[in-house]
Amino acid sequence: MSGLLQLRAVSKSFGGLRALDNVSFNVAAGEIFAIIGPNGAGKTTLFNCIAGALRPTDGEILFDGHRIDGRPPHEICSRGLVRTFQIVKPFRGMTVLENIKVAAFARHIRPRDAEEAAGRVLAHLGMEAFAGIDADELNVAQLRRLEIARALATEPQLLLLDEMLAGLTPAEATVMCDLIRELPRQGIAVIVVEHSIPVVRSLCERAVVITFGKVLAEGMTAEVIADPRVQEAYLGRADG
Amino acid sequence: MSGFRTVLCVGGLVVASFLLALSDRYYMDVFILTCFYGTLAVSWNLMAGLTGLMSLGHALFVGIGAYSVAWGASAQGWPPLVTWPLGVAIAVAAAAIIGMLCFRYGLRGYFFAIATLAFNEVAFFSVSASVALGRSDGLILPTSSEDSLLMLQFFDKWPYGLIIGVILIATLAIGQHLLTSRTGYYWRALRDNEEAAEALGVNARAYKLRCFMLSAGISAFCGAFYANYVAFVDPRSVLGIDLSIQMLVYSIIGGMSLLWGPLLGAVLLVPFSVMLRNISAIQGGEIIAYAVLLIVLALVLPQGIAGWLTARWRRRSAVSRPEGFAAPERSA
Repeated sequence: MSGLLQLRAVSKSFGGLRALDNVSFNVAAGEIFAIIGPNGAGKTTLFNCIAGALRPTDGEILFDGHRIDGRPPHEICSRGLVRTFQIVKPFRGMTVLENIKVAAFARHIRPRDAEEAAGRVLAHLGMEAFAGIDADELNVAQLRRLEIARALATEPQLLLLDEMLAGLTPAEATVMCDLIRELPRQGIAVIVVEHSIPVVRSLCERAVVITFGKVLAEGMTAEVIADPRVQEAYLGRADG
Repeated sequence: MSGFRTVLCVGGLVVASFLLALSDRYYMDVFILTCFYGTLAVSWNLMAGLTGLMSLGHALFVGIGAYSVAWGASAQGWPPLVTWPLGVAIAVAAAAIIGMLCFRYGLRGYFFAIATLAFNEVAFFSVSASVALGRSDGLILPTSSEDSLLMLQFFDKWPYGLIIGVILIATLAIGQHLLTSRTGYYWRALRDNEEAAEALGVNARAYKLRCFMLSAGISAFCGAFYANYVAFVDPRSVLGIDLSIQMLVYSIIGGMSLLWGPLLGAVLLVPFSVMLRNISAIQGGEIIAYAVLLIVLALVLPQGIAGWLTARWRRRSAVSRPEGFAAPERSA
């Protein structure tokens, strides 16, 4: 399978600690893919390696046929791969529209074009009423949506979502899931890092499970979740 | 930030105060000093307030500009036409080198501030020890009894007022243009959250460097002007930490979130300190009064005067806060 994103034997060590060990998987264009694993498994490290915040110690990451491992984040973004942060990072001194405009400048150099593009993203996400509000005044759910809006404004082919549902109420989470489910129809592939198994099951076709920095299982979500090794990693051994 | 109209208003006020100051040499002197410090503070704030790069060594660039002019005129007889661009070029190059070093090693916040301060101090002591640059006695620019446009030497003060007024308005116009462009948005994004900005496609190092170089260039321009205006430079007046602190104080008082905030600070404080210097009998009395004013303002108006004014204005014209989201559009 030719992937939009291909990881080949990616490893990352921090001193003596091997946070990622020989991680390989592919993500196809237009699919929703999940990275799951218990706390401290290395999901966020993996994310940071893909998005360019960290340089892998070993291995190759290919996006759209180009090596992106070790490239700076802004370059990876301009290739069409963008991430959100688990802890939201809005530009607090700006309005919602200005936040999104910063991202839109990645594709549109002229301010007027960027503003129009940002307006389209706002409209698409149903956030028009918030355009002039300071990002500082939003609540968690709104900040998360702003985080997605900004990412979408860079017009990506692949979107990395880090724990998008953390801290949301069930109702808010449902709305967010609907939003994510729409993305492949716009030609955007999504990788989610998520704790909640039901969410992953409802959202993603395929998943990879990571524990202690290693790939434990990869494949169709339902099969992966049913895998006894995965159950064990999450819940502990039944007979232990 | 209602754009160019604000710059037009501020520019209009500058022109009006210039015309008023024409009546008297003393007023013109106050006008010139206000514009000088105002431009410096605005250029400093392009970095600190709008890009989040707190420099404590900006006097370095003023000094480079001033000493280029003073040394060029006194030792080589070069006209300002040569020495001004020379000074600006050296300052921009110095900023590029310092910036590359700092940003390469990821210096931020206090660490960046201390690094810039260190470079400034090195320059201060080097110049104070350099015989060619007049040591701590400074350099006196050669003067003749006749006015000379070529050497920027005038008996009247108004031509100097004209020059610094133009520099100030040009600085504001350039600043405003950049702020509404991609560069300005990227600068503010870097100020608010560098990591997020990078993830959204901002080349942090390049944009910070660009800001640093521009700011240093404007400061050097002001320094060059100062040398020609006062016809004397010494390390204390153009390289001292006092000068760097002044830029910071005007910006904080005026309001760092706005382009013209620091200018407002200078407009209020420069005439105030000139006046205090003239009336206070106690040595250093103006510094005490200054300090008191600073403390009071910091307590009462933490976002600066300009910040407070715009907050008030925004509150009056505020839209009611929406409660929830509309349903996202379906792209079926």
